[in-house]
Order: sequence, then structure tokens, then C-alpha cells
Amino acid sequence: MAFFNEKPVVVLGGGIAGITAALELAHLGLPVALVEKSPFFGGRAAHFACKATDTCQKCGACLVEQRLRDLIQESGVTLYPHTELIQAQRPDGLFHLTFRRQPQRIDPHRCINCGICYDECPAISQQAILTGSSPAQHPRYAINPAGCLYFRDGSCRICQELCFPKAIDLDRPETTFTLEAPALVLATGYQPADPRSRPHYGYGFLPRVITGWELEQRLRDGAALEIPGNGRPARSIAFIQCVGSRDQDHPYCSRVCCAYGLRLARLIRHRLPECRLATFYMDLQNIGLDAQRFQEEALAEVKLIRVLPGDVATAADGTIKLRYLDEVSGQALSTAFDLVVLAVGIAPGPENPRLAELLHLDLTPEGFIRSHDDLHRTATGQPGLFLAGTVEGPRSIAECIAQATAAVQQVRNYLEAAS
Amino acid sequence: MSIVRPIDFIVTHNLELRPAGLDPRDFSLLVAGFPNTRVLLLDPALPADQQEARLKAFLHEKARSPVVLAAMDPQTRGAVTLKLLLEKFQLNPELLTVVDLQAALENPDPKTRTLKALDLVRLAAVRVSRAVPLGSQEVPVSRRVLVWGDSYPALKAAGDLADLGYPVILATPHAPLSPLTPSAPQPQSPPEPLAALLQHIQDHPLLRPVTAAALLGFEGVTGNFTIRLCTPVGPLKEQVGAVILAPELEIAEAPERYGLPLHPRILSQTRLEQVLASPKEAAAMLDPQTEQVVVALMVGLAGASYPPALRRALSAASRLLNRSNCQVYLLVGDAKVAEPGLEKFLRQNQDAGLVLCKLSQLPEVTLKEDRPHLTFFDPVMRESLELAADLVVYEEAYRAASGNAELARLLRLQPAPLGFLQGDNVHNLPVATCRRGIYVVGPARAVMDLEEGLAEADAAVLAVQSLLGPGVASAPLGRAQVDRGRCVLCLTCYRLCPHGAIVYDSRADIKELACQGCGVCASECPNDAIQIRNCTDDQIRAHIRTLNPQLAPRLVAFMCRNSAWEAYQAALKLKHAALPLGFTAIKMPCAGKIDMDYLIRAFTHGIAGVLVLTCHPDNCKSHKANDHARWRVAQAQALLAEAGIDPQRLLYKSLAANTPQDLLDAVAQLRAYL
Ligand SMILES: Cc1cc2nc3c(=O)[nH]c(=O)nc-3n(C[C@H](O)[C@H](O)[C@H](O)COP(=O)(O)OP(=O)(O)OC[C@H]3O[C@@H](n4cnc5c(N)ncnc54)[C@H](O)[C@@H]3O)c2cc1C
Ligand code: SF4
Ligand code: SF4
Repeated sequence: MAFFNEKPVVVLGGGIAGITAALELAHLGLPVALVEKSPFFGGRAAHFACKATDTCQKCGACLVEQRLRDLIQESGVTLYPHTELIQAQRPDGLFHLTFRRQPQRIDPHRCINCGICYDECPAISQQAILTGSSPAQHPRYAINPAGCLYFRDGSCRICQELCFPKAIDLDRPETTFTLEAPALVLATGYQPADPRSRPHYGYGFLPRVITGWELEQRLRDGAALEIPGNGRPARSIAFIQCVGSRDQDHPYCSRVCCAYGLRLARLIRHRLPECRLATFYMDLQNIGLDAQRFQEEALAEVKLIRVLPGDVATAADGTIKLRYLDEVSGQALSTAFDLVVLAVGIAPGPENPRLAELLHLDLTPEGFIRSHDDLHRTATGQPGLFLAGTVEGPRSIAECIAQATAAVQQVRNYLEAAS
Repeated sequence: MSIVRPIDFIVTHNLELRPAGLDPRDFSLLVAGFPNTRVLLLDPALPADQQEARLKAFLHEKARSPVVLAAMDPQTRGAVTLKLLLEKFQLNPELLTVVDLQAALENPDPKTRTLKALDLVRLAAVRVSRAVPLGSQEVPVSRRVLVWGDSYPALKAAGDLADLGYPVILATPHAPLSPLTPSAPQPQSPPEPLAALLQHIQDHPLLRPVTAAALLGFEGVTGNFTIRLCTPVGPLKEQVGAVILAPELEIAEAPERYGLPLHPRILSQTRLEQVLASPKEAAAMLDPQTEQVVVALMVGLAGASYPPALRRALSAASRLLNRSNCQVYLLVGDAKVAEPGLEKFLRQNQDAGLVLCKLSQLPEVTLKEDRPHLTFFDPVMRESLELAADLVVYEEAYRAASGNAELARLLRLQPAPLGFLQGDNVHNLPVATCRRGIYVVGPARAVMDLEEGLAEADAAVLAVQSLLGPGVASAPLGRAQVDRGRCVLCLTCYRLCPHGAIVYDSRADIKELACQGCGVCASECPNDAIQIRNCTDDQIRAHIRTLNPQLAPRLVAFMCRNSAWEAYQAALKLKHAALPLGFTAIKMPCAGKIDMDYLIRAFTHGIAGVLVLTCHPDNCKSHKANDHARWRVAQAQALLAEAGIDPQRLLYKSLAANTPQDLLDAVAQLRAYL
């Protein structure tokens, strides 16, 4: 290829969007560097559960699994886990990107994922050791200096002493390095919306109120749907949609929560046929290719209530009482549930302001990175710098894949024109 | 035991095997005792150059014999070793088998651990010793591409491909080209960047637009399709390497959806947009002299509704609200706001005075004194309201192109919902179909925003490029093989191949550029004329024969590599997975390759229970190959019952790659039954 260049295209962010971009670039024969801030590749979606009942519900979660495996086997992509962008310049058309890389304190060639470090760490509650969610992520464990006692005051090195394959070395130094990149794809993703933005739902002080994000992770880990603090299986579960979407602070639809909320509800219904399920919502968005059929099927399994509850309270028996206005009768009803799931939406990534400043990009009023072309949302104001995935705004896994692929095509066109 | 040719064994071990209860040296010695076997004990934590030196001493210059690599978690821990083997030593991937010893290490006592570990590697060796390297070939392909449709994504794909040097036929039944912007007023003159797209394709030397075309014939396979078009200037027959489908949506007035009477003051959305575009008509319909003009817009109250329809209604609403005397109501069922900016747009309109009524039923429409009256229950006011409207506007139906059914039939695409062209399977996302070389973008697969459709056009162009390249494509050589002497021309494989990879030239001929190696054809061929290399009947039978009936309870699971095998790999990494000692997993390229013969044979070999584990329905990469497997299980169960074997010893389950627990549950279920 004429534009073939020794210097790697840098993809920032190793979620589904970044992984897709990296893989597609590598298929074009371009060298790629995939830089991920956390110790694990896969992003948010690597924590989701399969939502298949008797049949696949087409949530797309397994696509992440597959691409993660492809990524590990793709030799054209250089992986930089646990690495952060600290400086960016563009003096000569090339991006000069400086990164700070946390060392792999757990040597991947030695670690056998026995988990002793995790089991014996006294500071697990401070997240001193982070764990991956997929077998494709190796090692499954990573030391987190922000929580580790050794980094606080040097008082502990238990894991290093206990690790019998001698994989852990807490003293490996951080490194700083610079990459010169002809093009850059920004795919740093989102964060789940903060459920405390709707304080009346009681998240944080009512243990029976959890988020959809937490439920996804629990189901993925194969955990039973127990009532927190009581151990019995839940007999009734309510989903509340639009938490952190379509309100004053988040004046947009997150586009994925109706879908994952109802799919999760149907999955639970399939696993626990006795469980009573209700979904409180404002407007149901289209789910899947045949949305009407999905909705009709869901209606047979989940009670759909078109109003958001006004008030949440704990009853004497510990259940959560939701009060809401019945759409038809206009009466205030109150229904008790064993568990309440807040379908949190997609909020802008916490680092967007910093990244925007480093890379001279604009933010939207909501806090996503602004695209400069409504017909090509991968485009930024800067040539050679492209957006992929939820960094630009809410989208589903499938939409991230499509957009990341489009970004790769734009990178290619750009490099071809530049050479 | 039949290890039919020399095997190179690599046991990788650093410090982990011994504490886990398997002495690597003793184990290596035992393995070395297999006939035809040499063993290397290698430390996977060694630097790559040292590993390379050791491998070099062991394997000579190039790896020629099949290799079994056994380790704890070899895929990740042995990553360096694997890479060296495949890249430095150019070992054919078909000649490499990886065994995760974890499956043995769970057993409580050292003796069974060793026994199990030996069983695992023996089975791997038996199968890989019969493996044949898979070659690769360069297949000449046509670089010409057919883009079907005249949507903007179609135009973009066509223009981009032509820019990249691919000759393109852009064919559409419409004349002239009439692309839509689904969320803009209809019909509209295209905004600047889109107009440029239209211009670009008109005068590109490599691009031939064919309007008023009909597709009459479509034959051949990936890389070399033959298309026959009927065009106003006569028939056109061409060879194309790939196809991008992007026929434009149809936006139909469909007043019947809303059950509305015919009346000059009841308009479709498009009609309203025309009225607003013409000052004269606007003045007539929305008399600026009257004190108040009431307009009711209805969206999402009957049948499928999509964000573009809401956006159009809101655009009209904001124009109406700009007229000082307009009172605008938006009557909606579910407001489909799931596109960028729509929620904000809705709020802006509300702030500007739009009255939003969320209804759960279609309003009743009556005509009184030449005005339509709408009666509906307003959930906010909690009463039935009657609204005398000057204009009632209903949303239109967004539908897939009406020619799609015929197109899908000709191109042999799998059925898709709502008349679109992409089968409802996540593995097709974003733009693939069941047939390699045929891509669907934008309005061919769903109602979507123009921006998303254009992004998909990019994705399809990328896919076409990587398929056709400079005119030769690389494909495996010899993966699916037809024994021409045995083929009885029954057409079974042709009908069943989910990827349209089989053609006929006096016998079945499998085109390897299109074949995905799923093996449906091989399993269904009534005369066993087709074999999938390295998953041949001989290999699987040898595998079954080698199962050691002493390891009890002897359970065998045939696993699709896309789902169950992955779940199995993940399960091995779960703590306390504790699979039974006699449990053996057999990796299959796809559920489609799980022959009934294998299931029966397993029982005649004395296996206590057999599991068939496939992807979930609608999640199979080869369309319905998992259903084929399920049907075969049902047939096999009937045969077993006739033979006096309890059919419940054969269990079918579907699961996903990310659900190891489901796999463990399936094993536990069968075990409990036994
Ligand atoms: C509860 C919940 C359930 C959902 N369920 C579904 C579902 O079932 N189906 C579906 O299609 N979608 C679902 N979604 C949406 C889905 O999560 C997203 O579409 C998808 O994960 C977005 O991928 P991404 O790559 O854009 O971002 P992310 O997954 O957020 O990945 C971004 C990556 O970039 C890294 N990163 C961040 N900052 C930096 C930096 N400065 N430098 C380097 N790396 C950085 C992050 O660590 C992360 O790994 C759900 C969302 C939520 C909240
Ligand atoms: S439900 Fe989701 S994760 Fe499960 S198989 Fe279907 S797409 Fe994959
Ligand atoms: S193996 Fe599968 S893809 Fe290949 S020809 Fe047979 S049925 Fe078709």
C-alpha cells in the first residue's frame, strides 16, 4: 500500500469501538497501537451478561467476547494496557503522544491466574487488586497502585511473597514513552450514568435498589438473583428506565437502556418463571430489528407501566414500595418489589474534558466529544483525528462496531490522501 | 491407540504444574512412552529468544510433524510459544493442537490427575496425527461491484468504491435516482454534501448508473457472481465480485394505519410538508387571519414508528409554532427519541408551545362542521378531551423496499424481519449477510438515520476492499472436499449450505472463497460424499474409539467452537468447575458438523452420556446449523429408543460463549440423570 507507514496509527480506548477499529486497521496491514487506560481490554461491554432465554435476544454482548479473542491473536496490534495519555502535540502533522504506562506488576508469562493474590490481599475493599471479566483477559488480576498498601506506605507485600510462580514484582517502575502517530482514533467510551442524579430512588442507601450495570455484572458472574441482605431469591423485580437520561441534566435518550432493561427482564423471567416483573418507563424505544414483535412478546412476560415512579420507600418487611400514578385510573398506586433495578443510561466519559483539552477538541453541552459533521460523526475538526463509539454520544455495541469500522475507512482515506 | 504418525509434544511448564499435583517430568516421561512421540519440556516464562533456541533444537528448521502443546492455560500463558510456533517455525495451524491441562488438575488425587492428563493429550494426539495441513490458494475474482439501490448510502458506497478504482454498476429500479433523507421533509432537494454525492456518481468514469433496472438473474459465488439485469437499453450481463445492497426505503402515506376518513383537512406528513413549503397553500390551510389555527400531529399511535418520523413531525411543529396563530398538539404513543438530538428537539418544541399528549390509544376522529374533531383520553388532565382541529396530520409508514422479497430470493439470502434483507443474527452486524461478498447497508437492513447508513456504507466498502483486493482473493485450499465419485447429484448440499458456497458442474463443487467450513453439507449428504478437512468422519471416529471407557462416568460433549467450546475454556478457569473425570469435550467447527453417526457411535462405544452443545437459536454463524444439530439429536434419540438405549442419555443444549455456568449446569444435569 502506498501509504504504508512504519509509524502506528494510535487507537485510544480498548472498548468494543477501539478494539474494532484496531482490528480493522490491522486487517488493512497498518501497524496499530491500542492504548487502554485500565489493565484490561474490552471496555464496559465485556462485563455484560448473555441475555438469551430459549433463543438469543440479540443483545450483542457475545460479539465483544469474540473480538477480544481476535485481538489477543492479532499480531498487527501492539497492546498497551494500563496506559494513559499525558501529553499531545502535533508540530508536523504527526501526533506526538506521550503516555505513562503502569508496569505489568503481574508478569503475564508467569501468572497462572490462581487468584491467591486476590484472595489474600488485605486491601481488596480499596480495590487494591482489580479483576478482569473474561478469560481472554490475561492475567485476570492487576495491582492497582491507588488502592494497594505497598504504594500507600510500603506496609504490605503479601501478594508478592505468596505468588509461587513469582509473577508479582511490586517494584517494577512506571514508564513514560512517546509514539508518533500519523492518525489517531479516539474511542475512550462512556461511563454509566450516576443513579444518584435521581436521589428519590434511594440508590446508595437502600441496598435493594441496584443499577442495571450492577445487574449485568451479577448475571454475568452467574450469581443468583438474591435479595441483598436476605439471601432469598427475588420474587418481584421492578426496572425503572431513563435513570440519567432524558432529564434536566441529561437532555438526551441513551438509546440502549430500554433494550438492555427489557432484555434483562425477560432473561430473569426465563430463569425465574415465578418472579413478577414490571418495567416503569416514559416511552419505549425500538428494540431489535422487529421492535413491535419484541414488544408484544415482552408484554406477555413483563408488566409495562408507562410512568416513572414518584417515590420510593422501604416497607416494614424490607420490600421496596414504588408509588406511581396509574395512567388509566389516575389513582396513586403503590406496589412492593423485592428488588429495584435502575436502568442507568450512558453518561459522558469522566475524562472527556481533559482529553478535549489535550487534543484541542470541543465538547457538546452534554459533555460528549463533538463531531464536526452530522453526516460523518467520526469526523472531528482536525484532519487525521477520528471518533469511534460512545465517546461521541450514546450508541449500542452494534452501532459502535459500525461506526468504528467507518472511522477506519476515514483513517485510510486520510492516510492515502496524505501520502 | 492409534497415533498414526510422529507427534512433537511440547509440555510448557514454569512452576505451576507440580504444586497443582502433576509432576511435569513424570508426566513428560509417560507421554514420551506413547508410540511415535517426542517430548520437549519448555518454560513459557522464558524470553522469546531463549524459547526460540530451544524450539529450534527440538523441531529442526521448520515444524513438519503435528504438534501438541499441553499446558495450564496455554492460550494466554503460552502466547509467546504459540506465536513462535506459528510464525517463526511456520507450523500449519491445522497441525497444532492445544491442550489445557486444567481439565485434569481439578481431580482430587494425583493418580487420577495423571490418568486424566494422559487421556487428554492422547486424544489430542490421535486426532492431530491424522490432520492434514490446510493450504491456501489465490482465487481470481472480479473487481467489479454491483451496488443495488439509490439511497444515499448506496451512492456513497458506489462513489467511494469507484474512487478506489473498482468498477461499479449502480443499479436501481427507480428512474431517475431518488434518494431519501428519512428524517427531512419529503420530497426535498438534497442539502449540499448530499447533492455533491449525487453529482459525483453521475460523471465518474468507473461508475455506470443504471436506472429503471430489474434484476433478472443472479448466479455464481463470492468473487464471481453473474448478474443479469434488464435495463431500458436492453439486457446486461456482467460478472461482479461483490454486491452491496442498499435499496431505498419506501415512505407510504398509508392512511389506513390510522383509520382516518378522507378529508381535505386530514393530511399525511408529506402533504403537510408540501403545504408548508408553498406560501399559497399554507395561507389557505393555515389562515393567518384567524385568531387560532389548531394543528394536531399524530405519531407512533398505529403500527411501527421510527425516530425519523418523529423528527419530521417536530420539524413541522417548529415551523408551525413560528406562525403566531398556530396551536400545535403532538399526540404520541411512544415518542421514539432514540436518535441524536431528538430529545432536545422535543423539549425545544415544548418550550416554544408545543402541547404534548401521550396517548395509549388512537384518538377517535369525527367530522363536525367541516372540521375534524379528535376525541381522546388525556392522562394528564385525567379526562376525555375533544379537540377541534383545523389540520390533522398523521405519520407515514416507513417500509423496506417492496422489491426486497424478490431480491432475497434471487440472491439466496436468509429470511429477514419486516421485508428487510439482513437476517436477524448478531453475527451479521453491521453489514454482513449469510453469503460472503453480499453486504447490506442502511435502508437495506433497517430504518435508520442517514448518518448511520452512511457509516455502514463505509463499513461495506472496507469489507469489499478486503475481499476483492487487487483482483485476487485468498481462500483456504481443500477444506471442504467432495468425493465426485460418491456425489449422486441430489442437491441436498446445494439447498442446505447456509453460505451459498456450492455450485454444480455435473457434481457438487464447493467454492472455498465462500465456504465457512461449517460442515452442514457434510453431515447432511445422504451418500457421505463430503468431508471437512481435519474434521473428517475418520478423525472423529478415531477420536471416539480412543475414549478410555475406564474413566467413569464416561461423558462426551460435542461442542460448537463458536459458543460451547469457548464457554468450556472459560469454565476451566472458574474455580470449582469440577467436571467429571470421564468428561471429554470434542471441538467441532460448527454444530452443523455434528453427524448423527457420531452420536450413535458414541453409545455403541460404551459412552454413558452424550451432550450436544450449540449456539442459541438465532445466534448460529451458519444460520440454522444449530437447528440441524437439534433435529439430528431428536432423530438419534428415536433410534436409541428403538435400540433399547435410554434416549435421555443424549442431551441437547444451547448456550453462549460468555456463559460457562450454563455449560457446567448442562454437564451436571446429564450426570445427575445418569
Ligand atoms: C448497564 C448497561 C447495559 C448495556 N447493555 C447493552 C447491551 O445489552 N447491548 C448493547 O448493544 N449495548 C449495551 N450497552 C451499551 C454499551 O455498553 C456500549 O455501546 C459500549 O460498551 C460502548 O463501547 P465503547 O468502546 O464506545 O466504550 P467503553 O466500553 O466505555 O470502552 C472505552 C474504553 O476506553 C478506555 N479509556 C477511557 N479513557 C481512556 C483514556 N484516556 N485513555 C485510554 N483509554 C481510555 C476505558 O477504560 C474503556 O476500556 C449498555 C450500557 C449500559 C450502561
Ligand atoms: S443474547 Fe446476547 S450474548 Fe447471548 S447469544 Fe444473543 S447476542 Fe450473544
Ligand atoms: S461447509 Fe458449510 S459453508 Fe462450506 S459448503 Fe458446506 S455447508 Fe457450505
